[in-house]
Amino acid sequence: MTVALASALPRVDDQDLIDRIIGEQDGRPGALLGILEQLQDANRYKYLSMETLEYVAIRTGVPQSQVYAVATFYALFNLDPQGTHTVAICRGTACHTRGSRMLLERVKLQLGLSESGTADKLTLTTPDRRFTVRTVACFGQCALAPVVEIDHAIRGHVKEQALIREVDQLRRDGSR
Amino acid sequence: MKIQDIAAFAAVREAGLAKLLPSRPRIAVGMGTCGSGNGAEAVYHAFKNEIDSRGLDIGLSPVGCFGFCAEEPLVNVWVPGRPLLMLRRVRPNHVDDILDAVGHNTPVPAETVLCKIEEWDHLTGHIKYGVGYPDVPLWRDVPFFHGQVKIVLRNCGLINPDDIEEYVGIGGYQALYKVLIDQNPAAVIEQVKAAKLRGRGGAGFLTGNKWEFLAKAPGPDKFLVCNADEGDPGAYMNRNEIESDPHALLEGMLIAGYVTGAARGIIYVRAEYPLAVMRLERAIEQAREYGVLGDNVLGRGFAFDLALVEGAGAFVCGEETALIASLEGKAGRPRTRPPFPAQKGLLGKPTNINNVETWYNVAPIVSKGPAWFTETGSPRSAGTKVFSLVGKVHNTGLVEMPLGTPLSTFIYDIGEGGTNGRDIKAVQTGGPSGGCIPADMFDTPVDYETLAQLGSIMGSGGMVVMDADNCMVDVARYFIEFTHSESCGKCVPCRVGLDKALRMLDRFTTGVASQDDLPLLDELCRMVRDTSLCGLGQSAPNPVLTSLRHFRHEFEDHIVAKRCRAGVCQDLALSPCENSCPLHMNIPRFLQLYKEGRLEDAFLSVVLDNPLPASTGRVCQHPCDDRCRRAGIDEPVNMRDVHRLIADEILLSDRFDAAVERVRERRLEPTGREVAVVGAGPTGLACAYYLALFGHSVVVYDSRPAAGGMLRYALPEYRLPKAVLDKEIELIERMGVRFLFNVDVGNDISLNDLAHQYDAVFMAIGTWKEAWVYLPGTELTGVLPALPFLEAVSREQEVPVGKKVVVIGGGNAAIDSARTARRLGAEVTVVYRRERRDMPAIPEEIEAAEHEGVRVAYLASPHRIIGDKNGQVRALEAVMTKPGEFDTSGRRRPVPTDEVIRIECDTVILAVGEKVDPDFCRASGLTLKEDGTIVADRYSLETSRERFYAGGDLITGASNVSNAMGYGKKAARNIDKRLMGQKRFPQLLPEFTYVMKPPEEPVDIGRHTPSETPAAERVQSYQEVSLGLTPVAALEETSRCLRCDIHTTER
Amino acid sequence: MAEKVKVRIDGEVIAAQAGQTILEVARANNKYIPALCYMEGLSSVGACRLCMVEVSGVTKLVPACTTPVQEGQAVVTASPQIDSYRQIAIELLFAERNHVCAVCVSSGHCELQSLAQEHGVTHVRYPYSCPRLPVDTTHPRYVLDHNRCVLCGRCVRTCAEIEGAHVWDIAGRGIGSHLVSELQRPWGEATSCTSCGKCVQACPTGAMAEKGWAVEEMTKQRTVVSRLTSMREGS
Repeated sequence: MTVALASALPRVDDQDLIDRIIGEQDGRPGALLGILEQLQDANRYKYLSMETLEYVAIRTGVPQSQVYAVATFYALFNLDPQGTHTVAICRGTACHTRGSRMLLERVKLQLGLSESGTADKLTLTTPDRRFTVRTVACFGQCALAPVVEIDHAIRGHVKEQALIREVDQLRRDGSR
Repeated sequence: MKIQDIAAFAAVREAGLAKLLPSRPRIAVGMGTCGSGNGAEAVYHAFKNEIDSRGLDIGLSPVGCFGFCAEEPLVNVWVPGRPLLMLRRVRPNHVDDILDAVGHNTPVPAETVLCKIEEWDHLTGHIKYGVGYPDVPLWRDVPFFHGQVKIVLRNCGLINPDDIEEYVGIGGYQALYKVLIDQNPAAVIEQVKAAKLRGRGGAGFLTGNKWEFLAKAPGPDKFLVCNADEGDPGAYMNRNEIESDPHALLEGMLIAGYVTGAARGIIYVRAEYPLAVMRLERAIEQAREYGVLGDNVLGRGFAFDLALVEGAGAFVCGEETALIASLEGKAGRPRTRPPFPAQKGLLGKPTNINNVETWYNVAPIVSKGPAWFTETGSPRSAGTKVFSLVGKVHNTGLVEMPLGTPLSTFIYDIGEGGTNGRDIKAVQTGGPSGGCIPADMFDTPVDYETLAQLGSIMGSGGMVVMDADNCMVDVARYFIEFTHSESCGKCVPCRVGLDKALRMLDRFTTGVASQDDLPLLDELCRMVRDTSLCGLGQSAPNPVLTSLRHFRHEFEDHIVAKRCRAGVCQDLALSPCENSCPLHMNIPRFLQLYKEGRLEDAFLSVVLDNPLPASTGRVCQHPCDDRCRRAGIDEPVNMRDVHRLIADEILLSDRFDAAVERVRERRLEPTGREVAVVGAGPTGLACAYYLALFGHSVVVYDSRPAAGGMLRYALPEYRLPKAVLDKEIELIERMGVRFLFNVDVGNDISLNDLAHQYDAVFMAIGTWKEAWVYLPGTELTGVLPALPFLEAVSREQEVPVGKKVVVIGGGNAAIDSARTARRLGAEVTVVYRRERRDMPAIPEEIEAAEHEGVRVAYLASPHRIIGDKNGQVRALEAVMTKPGEFDTSGRRRPVPTDEVIRIECDTVILAVGEKVDPDFCRASGLTLKEDGTIVADRYSLETSRERFYAGGDLITGASNVSNAMGYGKKAARNIDKRLMGQKRFPQLLPEFTYVMKPPEEPVDIGRHTPSETPAAERVQSYQEVSLGLTPVAALEETSRCLRCDIHTTER
Repeated sequence: MAEKVKVRIDGEVIAAQAGQTILEVARANNKYIPALCYMEGLSSVGACRLCMVEVSGVTKLVPACTTPVQEGQAVVTASPQIDSYRQIAIELLFAERNHVCAVCVSSGHCELQSLAQEHGVTHVRYPYSCPRLPVDTTHPRYVLDHNRCVLCGRCVRTCAEIEGAHVWDIAGRGIGSHLVSELQRPWGEATSCTSCGKCVQACPTGAMAEKGWAVEEMTKQRTVVSRLTSMREGS
């Protein structure tokens, strides 16, 4: 897809990588989703910057407003830099009935995150960008409820104290 | 290697079979996400290292998941000629023993043995493993698997999902091959139609019809889409299916591609399922390599290719038009239909979308025929459905059952009841689009139509089991919060309607809702359901509408009583313990006051919450233990014994008079109002005490010569010394309560007389009538009802008890009778027809009885009492029972066996339940229920007659002391409010100031339990059994409290 | 030549062309069906759900703006249930954002306001959300007040379908949905905007307005879009 580049391309890091990803996805169903997913994954802070979005829009010929609509519609995309450690708390039904809200409240409290998040999804990052706490609709690990994912490793049958201890450990490891 | 002809196909099949049934042993580890989450990776690597280092000739392979998530990790061990042995909860430290067992034919660790499989019908092929292991149950004899029919899950957990050859080995891709050779697409569509296969994603549209639409659409440019965007929280069958058997999905899509003339397929899978994505990628790659996908499928000239698209986290993309928008690179907002995707779908081309599970049914239907398929299931819903059984149920996992199976089979037979034997309240089906079905409707067959009639849906097959700890208002709110955050925002009813519904539900859970909110919420939900654009909005109100239908009383509790019985809605409770306490005692407060060394203040706090703190401190069923959050760390705080100690320290010391004075100071000004209380049991005492504190003049009538009711006349001295009770009653009396003993209301004075003399009447007589069991021989001499027996003992009267006593029953009265008879020197056997865990008696009491030498015969149903020629009891015969199906109380119904036992005895005590004797209120105009209890308003406790209130056992039937007192307290508040026109209860309480700071770190001290008089010593006398906590132990106990009364947000 | 069909709307038999929607046929025959997201000349999206009607043989209510007429169909445009649902939908819109007619340039010429009057909506029974939303005054000629936006998407479609600029889209989802220009840029900095102003004319409320008008002064040329469409089709 060679689109007449009506606007000047914004400066982005890893331009080659972005071009390659866009090239690979070209013409595939769900191409825009695939491009954004891969770009976010490739980013050190796991997010999509405004420059990246603008670059993608211009290169793919998709209107900027549509790229932005897509990036803000899906829960997986982050428009803000994410913390070094991610604590994802499952809010599935089985986890809810086994007390996942309490786990969320405790971790937020522990990390000093007080906002209750926006309506569409909860993602909170500590000001020092060390931790991101987020909720996930359901990991599909319901038999292990309540489930928490810490840095992409699933923990089942999580108890409040154990979770707090683990987060504390991560906090201490990082400050050494 | 590309399969281009039948010979090549057969060769791959042979190769695959040889992997499944090699000439050497094979060990397979279940490595779905569930298994891995439970440590399957470590087990796999332990096997690998050990096999390598020992140089063993044993094959090792990963497989998918066999569905029994609660028992993961699962490991299959097969030795040639023997059955496949399925092991559970395998840990790396089992590996050595398992390998030894395989090598030397020694037994595998017994705790890991789950079941065996002798042969397996993969439907497309059949595997015979072998015979042997006589002591190991067959897989279908394990309760969790019993009755399951594995069509969709036919290969899951048995073959390596990453190896196409194993799939071909069990007959995979043969159905596809057949379809390609037959070259009769229309016939295949007819087969699918005849099989009445319905979409497994939720709506249940007939798959054959959808395929026909697509086949009729002109041109080759059409799409097949597999919807694997499984988003229902609580449902994960699609993940498991793909992770365990990806090729069966490919085969289903390939067959559909051929018969509908579509050349391209897309699988839209959730990005949250990385393992499923990986396995699918691998399967697609292998399928291309083997010529199963591509320009020339299996050499038959058919071209089909598949693409994988990862969703990015939007529940609404399960909606087909939203999924299409997402595939087109847009936000996943649904659009209106018509046009339907079959006319105008992806990129404007005809498109057919089916759920993952639907595709898994295709190959078996083609290979075994529609008639075979419709044999399973109900007439309108053929085949099976995979359900995820999770939540508060004993066995969790994936269950594939014929459609039309009753819910009770899932919950009680397969799930084996609630977690830790707790009662189940409801099951939630269909996720955010479904609803909660109450336990008394568990005979409902699970199929598309029946669940819809109940206001729920089958949906993707999630079943989340709920118990008494789950609040139905909270669950409804939870689902609305979910759909509200997943709404795409396009249409007004869903975007704004769900937001408003959520705000309204917030008012319920925080206790600020009013009665008007119920109809308003109901109407709003109907509007959202009837006018939303897509399935998400149309079904999102279902959780609220079904809860309003089946659990309206819980909503009313939140509005009227501002109470959440489940203790979930935190704003309505001080702390979980307070919420669970029938008297709503401020438990953290008295713990803290005692901790601060302020015994007098602690006593004042306790006694203003509960006028019988020493008695309840001994005999309460302590529901607070079940809710204490300390249990998450070690064990619950022993709150009951602390308040017993606080009470004892004051009541039984010289500080008593001063303490009484402090309570008297709390009394409000005399009001001049007069109230009669009928019954001086715990309910009446509690009510009279608070009425007196309110400043009313109170007279308590009782037919017995002293106050205390059951506490005095039914509870044995060794559990509750009467000296303690006397002190408590003295305190109540000193608040100004007057007692009129030996007056039988109903005979000596009528209720109508009371109505003339008093401003209000509170009735609280107990359940003194012993239920009579209809058993041959109850007329014999030596058969005694329990309560009169216990009363006679407590009045120190002569009791006709022999040397060998049998007690029939399992409640507290039965255990009290047995222990009392033991103290009278008898040998005692309790006969109970169910299992121990079903016994209503307090577990500690049962244990103590056993220590004292009381024998208990469980699962023994009394059959007849045998007498001698003088009409004297000689023996009891009981039929042994076994636990059968679950009844509506969630307990297993005892089923008689052929075995009969005979217990020689000279006395039989009947303790099979106590009832209200409603004789006293005849001709009083009060409405009674069938069981003799009085009808009273759930919240105000006012009866059908104005100014007459009732509470305790009289309205609930036999219960326990604390419940009874809770009613007395509540009645006093309501009577006072009625007489004075305002809520004055808070005025009774002084301002307590005490430390409001939670512990930084929970103290590392275990639960203290009181010491007991040794069993041998105590059966000789009526000396109190429990010696209570020492002050030191009590002080430590108070420091164990986590202070849940300080809410997390304030910490 | 399109096929002719006969339908019955509120009892009256009406001749229509196959492919026409119920709403088009009704409006052409002076039968009133309310609608907010519908605009002649734009594609129909069926988002506001005000035009829900009963159709014979269908158990659910259907949106008139996207449902094509069918031979022999009987349509009921109003009933106690439909009226009550329409009232709720209007109340919901009022409760969603901050619609204060007394200070609105479009008061008196506002479609939301007219709908409330027509349907007897005199108060709102649901809790108001009162969100704090920005007002974008960066464009030299126009102003966008998110407090008055009902998310009908008419501006989005006008810009994409008529002007071809696609400046606007709806970002976020659910109750957090909001109108964005480009990558959430201030309108005045959106380079793709041609400042044609058709979106402003398409806006049913005072969310988009020309600068310089006082309360009640902003009237809109609603027919701009349909006129353009018909002229283009004619050419």
